[in-house]
Parts: sequence; C-alpha cells; structure tokens
Amino acid sequence: MAQAIRPLIETQYAEQVQAFEHSPWFQRLEQGQASLQEYDVFIFNLCQTHLKSPQILAFLYAVAPPEAAPQIKHNLLEELGLDEVAICHPDLLYQLATAAGFDRDRQTHLAQAAQAQIRQLCTDPLLFGTMQELGLSVLLEVTCFEWMLSRLAGRIGQTLAEHRGLSPASLTWFDHHSEVDIRHAEEGLDSVEQYLAYYEIEAEDLETILDITFRENIFIKRYFADLPLLAGSAHENR
Amino acid sequence: MRIVDATLFALQIPFVEAFAHSVRSRSCSDSIVVRLRAEDGTIGYGEAVARPYVTGETVEGCLRFMERTLWPAVQATDYFHWAGQDAIAWLGSLALPIEDSANAGTGVVAWNAARCGFELALIDCLLKSAGVSLGELLPPRHPVTYSGVITASSIEGAVKHAKRFKQFGLPHIKVKITGEADRERLAAIRAAVGPEVSLRVDGNGAYSVESAIATCEALAEFQIDSAEQMIPRGDPQDLAMVQAASAVPQMADESLITLADAEALIEAKACRGFNLRLSKCGGLGTTLAIAELSQAADIRVQVGCQVGETAILSAAGRHLAAYLPEISFCEGSYGSLLLREDLSRRPIHFGHQGLAKPLKGPGLGVEIQDALLEKYAQQTISLSAKAA
Repeated sequence: MAQAIRPLIETQYAEQVQAFEHSPWFQRLEQGQASLQEYDVFIFNLCQTHLKSPQILAFLYAVAPPEAAPQIKHNLLEELGLDEVAICHPDLLYQLATAAGFDRDRQTHLAQAAQAQIRQLCTDPLLFGTMQELGLSVLLEVTCFEWMLSRLAGRIGQTLAEHRGLSPASLTWFDHHSEVDIRHAEEGLDSVEQYLAYYEIEAEDLETILDITFRENIFIKRYFADLPLLAGSAHENR
Repeated sequence: MRIVDATLFALQIPFVEAFAHSVRSRSCSDSIVVRLRAEDGTIGYGEAVARPYVTGETVEGCLRFMERTLWPAVQATDYFHWAGQDAIAWLGSLALPIEDSANAGTGVVAWNAARCGFELALIDCLLKSAGVSLGELLPPRHPVTYSGVITASSIEGAVKHAKRFKQFGLPHIKVKITGEADRERLAAIRAAVGPEVSLRVDGNGAYSVESAIATCEALAEFQIDSAEQMIPRGDPQDLAMVQAASAVPQMADESLITLADAEALIEAKACRGFNLRLSKCGGLGTTLAIAELSQAADIRVQVGCQVGETAILSAAGRHLAAYLPEISFCEGSYGSLLLREDLSRRPIHFGHQGLAKPLKGPGLGVEIQDALLEKYAQQTISLSAKAA
C-alpha cells in the first residue's frame, strides 16, 4: 500500500507547491514588484497562518497513531521551543513582525487574527462524519505546508531580505523551515502513512479526502487571501 | 419607519472551482447586495442574483430598475414593524413595484431578482430594528437537509464530486445534465454513491419534449427522484406532455417565475414539483404565495438556490425551507464551499449529512461584513433619500 500511496500524496503536494510558486502574487513578491504594504500583508498572513501551529500539532498529537505520536510530539515541542534547540517558533514570527515594523496594535491584531482561525476551525460546521477523517485532512494540510516550506522557505526569506529589507536575524523562522528541512517533510509523509494504516483508511477514501483538502490551493488561500486578485489568478486554485 | 439610504453593491466573488450547467459556466458570483439604512440607524441586507436566461434580468438592468423604480418607492414608504401579526400579511405590506415602464420591451419576464434584493433588505432591516428574528415570523417546523449539486463537468469530475458528497454524508444529490453522455454520467455517479443516495437531474431546458421523454426513460434505471426543467420555459402543455409520458416526476424551475406561472402549471398538470428560488420568484412574499398554491394542488416543493449566492440569500432560503410544511429537497448554503469568501461573519454552510441549524439572530440571522462588500464590489451605487 505504502508504495502506491506515497507517490499519490507527493503528486498532490507537488501540484499545490507548483501552483503557489507560479501564482501571480508569488511572482510579484519574488520579483520585487510588490509595494511595501503588499509585502506587509503577506508577512501578516504568513504569521497568522503559522502562529497557532503548536495548537494544530497538539490536535494532531491527540489523534496520532502510536507509531506517529512521538514524531508529532517532537515537532510540537520543537515549535514551542521545549526541545534541545529551545527556539520558540511563534516567537520567531513575532520577531519577523517586529522587524517589519508592526507596532503593538498590529501585533495584537495579528494574535487575535490567528486565534480567530482556531475559533473558526472549531465553529465551522463539520463536513466530515468522523474525527479520523478530519484528522487526516488536517494532517495532510500540515505536512503539505512542511513539504512546501522545505522547498520554498529559503526563497521566501531571500525575497523578504532583498525586497523588504529585512535583516537575516529577523528571518530566522525561514531558516528553520528552509530547504535543509527536507527531513521534516519526509517524516510528515511517514506520519500520513502511519495514520492511514492505523485507522485502516482505504485508498479510495484517501483520494477523496486529498481531493477535498486540496480543492483550493492552501498556500494561496492562507498567504494571499487579503491581497487583491491579480490578472491570471482566476484559475490559480490548483 | 423610513429608510434613509441605500447602497447597491454589484459583487464578483471568485469561486473555489468553476460551476457549469447546460446554459453556461461561471467562475465567480455576480450577486447584487442591497444595503438599506433606516432612520434609527439599523442596517439591513438583501441580495439579488440576476439571471438573463431565467427572469431576463441582467446585473446592469437590475441595478437600473433598483435605482429608478424600487428605491423611489422604498424611500417614499413609511414601514411598520412586525408586531406579532400574520407573517404573510406583514410580508405582503412590503410589496414592491412590479413593472418598470422605462424598461418595457427588454425581454424581462419579471424584475424578481431586483425585488427580492430590496424585499430581503427591508425584512432584515425592519426585523433587526425590532430585535426580531425572521424565524419568529416563520417558525421552523423541521431540520433542513441540503443537497449536493454536481456541475456539468467531465464524467471524471462528476464522479469526484459525487465521492466528496458521499464523504460528507449528503443524502440527496442533484446532477446537472446537458444531453451529452447523460446515461454514462448517471451510471458512474450511481456507482460512486451507491443505492441509498437520492439522485435527481436538472436539464436547465436543454431538451426538446421528445428528447426529454427519451432521456427520462433512459435514466429511470438509476432511480431518479425528479427531473428538473428538462425543456425550455414555454407553454405549460409541453411540460405536461413530458410529465404524462414519463414516470420520473417533473419539476418546474425556469417555467416557474411568477404566481401566474404557478397557476398555469397547476392548471395544465404540467409537473409534480416546483423549484422555489427566492431571487427567481421575487422574494419571500411571492415565494410563500406560490408555496401555498402548490400545497393546495398537491405539488411537491424544492427550495432551490442561485449558484454563487452569498450568506444573505442562503439565510433567507434556510428560513423558508425550515418553515414550509413539507419540502422534497433543499439546495443552497454552500457558502465558502463554493465562494472563496462568504459575506457572513459566521459560516452559513451546512455540515455532515447536509444538516444545518435554524438561524436565530435578528433579521435574517446573519452578520454581514461590510469590508468584504467593499473588497468584492465591482460597482457601488449610493442612494439617499435627499438626493432621490
């Protein structure tokens, strides 16, 4: 099963990353064509997306099969800075926000916006009938983010250094998720496989949950939601 | 109470994925949101969805009719709050002008979308001002179960949608058909969802009388619970011929726009079901009147929706669906399942098995985010009582 499943998931992840990488907003940011405000909207959205990663990982830890639980627990502790490296990732995001000139009000707004996303996750009517399906969908999204960051975080950090003038120190979050972090992404795929095996999820159901989870481009949705539509972005969803 | 100003927002909200049927494909919503402000400062929201191939209305025509005909009538009226009187009578007191002599000869069957937009905004505004939910006027009688709708894409795409809906536990699915590979499409969908799920089809008027009869016969083996608007709007006798020749219950949609249409369809025994859509039928008042006629004639009703409608029309549709004594199917409340962003602060969309709770907040029961109206407005028209 694993041999057939892994390429299927990787293909979906690759499609998501490719659509993101080629999206008009990614191009505009990377080529230095965006305005200062547009870079800041992107920074805000990125921080908002990842500030609550510990909470999401805690949910995944709760539903993880025994084989995957240690790895997810390790990732959770790493996010919180409670591992041997002792760097709290949300703190790195606030460091980025501060470097971008976000004042106290804007950082408070950022914290509230991130919390609002957790609230929305809890209050949205659930379309899935079981926790195992919801858990799989969340796991797929989280591991897809890891997969993307392991390939693009360095480029995004470089973009913000070059075109937004941010210092290397303020971009440490990107270093922690950069291309060298391929191992994390691979471990994420291991977790998905372990989850599928533990909950005995059939290939057909996986395909449907992949389809549901990635019917929109998750990166464009999270990172560019507040930015106006650009020409060519109407069909960028997949 | 008087309405002191109105703002019309012609929106374009991108879809998460394109939606197609036999008449056209669309990738963004084109709703018009009507925002009314009463003299006490209360704000109410309504929504119109203009469909040239249904009522003949276009977005531009709707905006013009709203500005020239509806707004002058609304600003000249002193409205009464609902105070416990008969709900239908109170909704009737909000009646809006029907005709626009300046637009005679435009091919518009009825300015129903435009009227719906203003009527819903009035209902929302007046009920919010009194702190009353529409659910108090139209008390819910049963839970609402929404259907999934499969767009007229490739068969592979249709199966993908069918599997999603099965995963969501939706008990009812409507399939858009076009006359191309209908049998293969229905066979593949039935195989994907199994025998328990109710399937129905919608032809959007793409068939002749003969081909409609033949198609219904060909699809009957897939246990089709109804066939919606197989032939174009026209003489009710034509639809009656299809119904007489087919075991599949026919449902009128584009053929049913006005109360007079309902009477003619009943008279001709043209169908066994009516698809009631608020924007198509001119708002809650007229839709309830059509529902009453259908009940008396033993015609089943489906509460339908507009593709790309926002939380405003979905909320009104939810109230209607929960209130009507018996509905065969219900559509709508897709919210952010279809729209990249919906307008309400809290999501309107249904949950597992298509189930959705009644809305209890004042007015229509949804809190609209003005920032999103500004974000997605392609055109904004401000109207004030002074300037009119």
